[in-house]
Amino acid sequence: MGLFDRFKGPTPEQKAAQAEAAHRQADILMSLRANRPPASTLQRLQEARAGKAPWIATLTPAELMIVRSHGLRPISAVSATSWLHYGWSWTEGHAQGWGLALERLKLEAKAAGANAVLDVKMRTVPLGIESSMDFTLVGTAVFVEGLPPSHDPIVATVPALEFVKLLEADVVPTGIAVGAHYEWMSDWRGVASRAWMGNIESNALSHLWETVRRRAHANLRSHAAGQGNGVLAHLNFSQMFEREGGENQPKQYLARHIVIATTVDARRGQPFKHEVKIALDVHAGRSPLNTSSRHHQSYATNEAEGGI
Amino acid sequence: MSGQMPEHARERLKGLRSSAHSTGVFTSDFSVNEFLLVRKAGFEPIGLCVGTCVYHVGIQYGSWSKNQELDVLSKAMYHARELAMSRMRAEAAAMGADGIVGVKLTIKRLEWDEHLLEFIAIGTGVVHGDGHKGFRAHDGGPFTSDLSGQDFWALLHAGYRPVEMVMGSCVYHVAHRGALAGLGTAGRNVELENFTAAMYEAREIAVERMQFEAAAAKAEGVVGVDIHEGSHGWQTHVIEFFAIGTAVLPLEQEIAPEKIADPIMVLSVND
Repeated sequence: MGLFDRFKGPTPEQKAAQAEAAHRQADILMSLRANRPPASTLQRLQEARAGKAPWIATLTPAELMIVRSHGLRPISAVSATSWLHYGWSWTEGHAQGWGLALERLKLEAKAAGANAVLDVKMRTVPLGIESSMDFTLVGTAVFVEGLPPSHDPIVATVPALEFVKLLEADVVPTGIAVGAHYEWMSDWRGVASRAWMGNIESNALSHLWETVRRRAHANLRSHAAGQGNGVLAHLNFSQMFEREGGENQPKQYLARHIVIATTVDARRGQPFKHEVKIALDVHAGRSPLNTSSRHHQSYATNEAEGGI
Repeated sequence: MSGQMPEHARERLKGLRSSAHSTGVFTSDFSVNEFLLVRKAGFEPIGLCVGTCVYHVGIQYGSWSKNQELDVLSKAMYHARELAMSRMRAEAAAMGADGIVGVKLTIKRLEWDEHLLEFIAIGTGVVHGDGHKGFRAHDGGPFTSDLSGQDFWALLHAGYRPVEMVMGSCVYHVAHRGALAGLGTAGRNVELENFTAAMYEAREIAVERMQFEAAAAKAEGVVGVDIHEGSHGWQTHVIEFFAIGTAVLPLEQEIAPEKIADPIMVLSVND
């Protein structure tokens, strides 16, 4: 671009591109409100399903190999986002945000004629704008050869290898369940922090934590009930804050706990049929046999890392 | 000069041609496992191939309250990566490589100038041990792939071969909300539809561009796709969506699902 080009008006091509962008954005907004995938996404998914455009898989070649050997074929990467502003509650926003993103992801999968979405990763862009957060899911829609498209595709938030491992054991991962709870406690009697007393449990804080965590888990159970008969809760996130009270006001404590799980549909008492071989892994240090790579990046979890 | 070459010279030349760099030494950044598996797949490494591009990225500001692609930045990211990749590929072609595996594409900021970005593409050029030329890309040049040696082996055993590393990029400005926009949302959690829409559009553009590259390379599909976001020191509301993967084609004949070997479940006895 030359120095003086900015004083000229836009060229006809630029005008056309701007008009197209405006049109696409309007369509995306309308589609979000109408609960359907945007037109451009829809077209891309349908072309991939019909074999007119290359399929797209977030799977590694090893995953592709194992998925193909089970009669699954990739269609396309699918994704969904919901960007939420926490006017009411940060904690509960997480349940809402992931819930909405999950619904949208299923819409895209359905539009692609898929039976399942594998390798679903939870992501968040690091923009940090105005007490809000985006809840993004990215995964690979697949269909099963010989099966008709599903009206309710399953969503597996585990890597494809783990998905197949579960399938072989007659366990079907179905979706995401979130349990989130927070509570404020006002410490009127100043009992939370009793540094002068030596070794003693802070009953008030223990009780606060226990209540918050139990409620979060109860939420998780009820949220999961609609999707499967169990969960693998891979991600636990909790935080506690102290807030100084003002004049004649007590200290306040906020505790919040979020637990995010892959829901599964498992038949009880059905262990997998494979023989297990005992192997000595000659890797020094970290080994792919007993570690798995980090799958989701939305939470810098403050607990030990799990597979999710 | 006689038309017949001595037998051992012929062998030696054949050796040079099919399994070694012209200096007789191969270079690679393979781990031991990668090295063994690439050879198991029937390939031999010949040399590290590098492409570098230091690029001055132009300036473009998004309108404060508008969602829009910053095409000057998108084009810069695209062009610079393309230059680095094509230089790496040219070096591989000069070595007589059939392909490049384990390509690592990285971007670094140069600290003395915020507009300078350094793009580096590096990978290991390989040749087919038996001189099979069917693995080359559609234009007869070396294939490119960001797959590790292990992934490369697995891909061939899944019945596919790599064709080209494909990518799509979109640098996008997410609109700012007006100063008063927050007031209406106090007391409830609401979706910021404009932001959601921005994510949808930017991601769609990036994925479409990657798919377009795959179609241009006459590929059947794209494997190992990573869709991620990055911010290379731009303003707070500017983000790059980047989709990258390896475009693949079936080997001469697609492997039937039941022919793919079952893996064995193992339990590690290490701690």
